[in-house]
Amino acid sequence: MNRYWKLVNFELYRFLKLYVSLIALTIILQFTGVVVKSLSYVHQANSDIYEHGMSRAQFIEQNGLANFMQIAGSLWFLAPIMISATVILGYIFLIWYRDWFAKNRFIYRLLMLPTSRLTIYFAKASAILLMVLGLIALEIIILPFQLSLFQLLVPADLRQDIPITAVLGFQVLAIIIPGTWMQFVLHYLAGFMLVCVLFTAILFERCYRWKGLFLAVLYCAASVMVFIAPAILAAIRIIDFYPNELVSLEIVLGLVVMGAAVWISQFLLKNKITV
Amino acid sequence: MIEVQNISKRFGRKQVLKEVSFTANKGEITCLIGINGVGKTTTLKAIMNLTPINSGKIFIDQEVIQKDTYEKITFIPDANIMPTWMTIREACDFMKDYYKNWNQQRADDLMRFFKLNETDRITELSKGNTAKVNLMLGLSLDVDYVLMDEPFSGIDIFSREQIAEVVTSHLIEDRGVVITTHEINDIEHLIDKVVLLDNGVVLKEFTTEEVRLTEGKSVMDVMREVYQP
Repeated sequence: MNRYWKLVNFELYRFLKLYVSLIALTIILQFTGVVVKSLSYVHQANSDIYEHGMSRAQFIEQNGLANFMQIAGSLWFLAPIMISATVILGYIFLIWYRDWFAKNRFIYRLLMLPTSRLTIYFAKASAILLMVLGLIALEIIILPFQLSLFQLLVPADLRQDIPITAVLGFQVLAIIIPGTWMQFVLHYLAGFMLVCVLFTAILFERCYRWKGLFLAVLYCAASVMVFIAPAILAAIRIIDFYPNELVSLEIVLGLVVMGAAVWISQFLLKNKITV
Repeated sequence: MIEVQNISKRFGRKQVLKEVSFTANKGEITCLIGINGVGKTTTLKAIMNLTPINSGKIFIDQEVIQKDTYEKITFIPDANIMPTWMTIREACDFMKDYYKNWNQQRADDLMRFFKLNETDRITELSKGNTAKVNLMLGLSLDVDYVLMDEPFSGIDIFSREQIAEVVTSHLIEDRGVVITTHEINDIEHLIDKVVLLDNGVVLKEFTTEEVRLTEGKSVMDVMREVYQP
């Protein structure tokens, strides 16, 4: 195993406890949500039909059929996704700052490893990407089980069965699990670019401290401007792009922004970093 | 040879190093001496490219430091630089994973000598044992040069004796050593060369033999002359 993979493995190991907590939180909250929402619907149906003498047709007319979208759109389902996203976003900063400010100064050891310092940068970025992809994989794996549980709890005549592809195209799920491979790659390339830009901003701050904070803000603003420039130009109709042209341009600019982030980081890590 | 050529370093308005130059040869122990804040640690960090310098040049065996150089030079700082959740064994495994020149036999010998328990977590270690672990991790690399920052700082007399013994037995095997310390008495007999720093400049550079033989003074005497006018 080369040093890059060892470092990726090491970074993942350091995040393991928090990561397992996020997985547990997602599983517990989402399955609880399926149970709570399903049973509450069934309980209301039983109450209206058997205690208040409402016909099944009347109940369905009034309340609609239960479907999984109601659960997928609930806080039970969305909260763990939001919490995980927030934790990972915070970890983008923590993965660097911890090495400077924890009880140990592990950054000394990392920078003295007999490997390119850019390897450390890529190992940290890859660890973040793998953590995100791991949580996405978890969601894809547990979704069929959640659907089965929903079908088990709600009688067939009270529910509307929706294919899993339709669930994946719903709200937040459509963003985190895009419908096509191309969209998936584009979304996560954009995410990786964001991680690289934030890492570079962190390195600016670590190299130049207060001045670096200012430089980091300027740098982030410049990167965002470059990336969204075609979309802005198209929106205010200065230039009209065909959708394919716009996507191609965004891909090229995304790669330019990512390349610039890596190049600047390499320079900072090699020549300017201070511990 | 480590060659430090006219290096200057400024932190904000404060000039920490001004045109500092010295050399440290293999097989010699060079001691950077000075009161607090004169730039000793900054010099070591600059040699390891852990802090950028504003001007000047540093060469290790005629080469500017690069990734492979870390296989021939090691820095032993005065604080723990391994994650505190690690056990001593895990810290050794980490080093073994990344450094081709890790010497497990020496690590085991040093652990035995220092009476370190490999299952102890770094977070549980006393300051003295942390220094010993630092020393064990640094000296278990088969390198040509060792930089040590205040290895005796805040450590009890018995640990100091143990560390001084290790410095004597393990460091002088053809290695070039640069050491910073206040506790000059502990290692004065080991030092070959002294670089006296004050306010970021080199006040004096001399071999201990030279002052002993020609002036009949110890390093401590020279320090007193410089720092207690």
